[in-house]
Amino acid sequence: MNFRRLIISVTLAWLTVFVFLPHLLLVGTSVMTPNPDHLVVWPVTLDSFEKVFTPLYFSVFWHSLELAAIATVICLMLAYPFAWILSTFNSRTQALLLFLLILPFWTNSLIRTYAIKILLGKKGLVNATMINLGIIDEPIQLLYTEFAVIFGLVYLLLPFMVLPLYSSFDKMDKSLLEAGRDLGAGTVQRFRHIILPLTMPGIVSGSLIVFLPAMGMFYIADLLGGAKNLLLGNVVKNLFLVARDWPMGAAFSVIMMLMMALMLLLYVQANRLVSRKGGLHDSNL
Amino acid sequence: MNKLLAASAILASNLAFAGDKVVVYNWSEYIDESVVEQFTEETGIEVEYATFDSNEVMYSKLKLQQGKGYDIVVPSTYYVSKMSREGLLQPIDKSKLSNFGNLNVDLLNKDYDKGNQYSVPYFWGSTAISYDADSIEAGTITSWKDLWNQQWEGKLLLTDDVREVFHMALRINGHSGNTRNPEEIKQAYETLKSLIPNVLVFNSEAPREPFLSGDVSVGMNWNGEVYMAQQEGANLEYVYPTEGAVFWVDSLVIPKGAENVDNAHKFINFLLKADVARANAEYVGYATPNQAAIPLLSDEVRNNPAVFPSQEDINNGEFHHDIGDEASQLMNEYWQKLKTGM
Repeated sequence: MNFRRLIISVTLAWLTVFVFLPHLLLVGTSVMTPNPDHLVVWPVTLDSFEKVFTPLYFSVFWHSLELAAIATVICLMLAYPFAWILSTFNSRTQALLLFLLILPFWTNSLIRTYAIKILLGKKGLVNATMINLGIIDEPIQLLYTEFAVIFGLVYLLLPFMVLPLYSSFDKMDKSLLEAGRDLGAGTVQRFRHIILPLTMPGIVSGSLIVFLPAMGMFYIADLLGGAKNLLLGNVVKNLFLVARDWPMGAAFSVIMMLMMALMLLLYVQANRLVSRKGGLHDSNL
Repeated sequence: MNKLLAASAILASNLAFAGDKVVVYNWSEYIDESVVEQFTEETGIEVEYATFDSNEVMYSKLKLQQGKGYDIVVPSTYYVSKMSREGLLQPIDKSKLSNFGNLNVDLLNKDYDKGNQYSVPYFWGSTAISYDADSIEAGTITSWKDLWNQQWEGKLLLTDDVREVFHMALRINGHSGNTRNPEEIKQAYETLKSLIPNVLVFNSEAPREPFLSGDVSVGMNWNGEVYMAQQEGANLEYVYPTEGAVFWVDSLVIPKGAENVDNAHKFINFLLKADVARANAEYVGYATPNQAAIPLLSDEVRNNPAVFPSQEDINNGEFHHDIGDEASQLMNEYWQKLKTGM
């Protein structure tokens, strides 16, 4: 019992010092007045939040949402069948495949991003292969485009989509599918009425885990997108480091946090609705 | 990438020794690593090395830490004046710099730091245009204005440096690159807005790399980067544009909160040695302010117009100066807009 209490208090203290207080500071900074000499000064003001919604910043915001959404959808389309197939193997093969999925994560993501640069360059492997196969005559510009940014995001975030989906598929009772078939449900019907609802928690949590970080990965946009302000993360980084407008950088971060909270709230609500209707539980998250 | 790996290797090797050290914060790819190793061999002082790719980021870090955390930093002239004015730097004790006399007096005692109280010139160089001579005919590009040509749509590289990019536009409009006039800055922003569709990538980390990888064939570049690319086998030409190139000086300074002040002086003095300055200059390809090192340079380097510009090109160009907080804040705001594509 004492041990349990110890663990809980250590965790709580950790979260307070390294998560709660920094976020509190962030919120505090976002309502201060920017100052080139002292970074932030009194008085308290909501100016920074107002500026976030000016056309300039709002357009970045929107664009960043778009890129992150595209990356999330692609991740989902790739991860869904993969997680399904994965769950049909025996447990030893599953372990091996999961291990292979996680293996690249032992290399720093920055180094893997540089590797993508080499891959997508005009003299890179992708262009060289396409030229050799006769698909194109001249190398095409892949690097420093939005395509490259989305490619990088999908590559880095795919496992975060696979894992929750796999967990959903793994827990799905396969006999339900057999029962559905015995009762005359076609493939599409079984998918729509059995598989999709049962894996919905995995879809939602996977999408959330991919979508929000995708907007913040400034180094992907810097290295693969040519350092144009493409993602929210770039704007925040530039506001903090180049323009030194800390309140505004903080305001952007606070808005992102609020968005995340809102999405989680929606998710919990949706989940409650589903479980009331179909007796599903959130236990597979 | 090399520099990233090298920096982490140097850092990692330093974790093993917690002894005598000096912490250097320099532009990326701006030193011959063997020079650093030689310093450690000769003095036993370990060098902890970190890099930045813009004055603004370097300044933000130093300002935030009140000048602590680093023993040597390498700002450009206009940040030397800003940082000394704000009390972020400490005076350099020239009695500890026996090699100070090696420096070219023409580069000393300038407005940004009268009497070189706070700064010792490290390298000087230029920002101009480079192009791939294999795919582009000589004479196609002679001026900054040529970068606006529609044929470069989605193809250009610009340095990720607000002052340099604005300098280019200000010169095209016939103004000084050091203007403080808000109207002229606004006009430069308008001029740059029409350049943005041509921009493929902003890079101040290693502008030569997109050229080497074939992704870019025209753009702004630094002379040393072009020299390095030439050393690596690329057929890059360096052009001093007719409106005048951007010239700058980067200096070694010691932040106010430096913890290893003695070692910092030792490191600076070591860099000022003629043979060390020669090795360093032949590696990075920027012009050395070290007069004593120049006779030691190989002919190939000394006579390379990319490394040492002609007097005519220097006269035609303009050195960067401090433009004050107000004007630079304004430029930064426009810069954010440009990078967002607005």
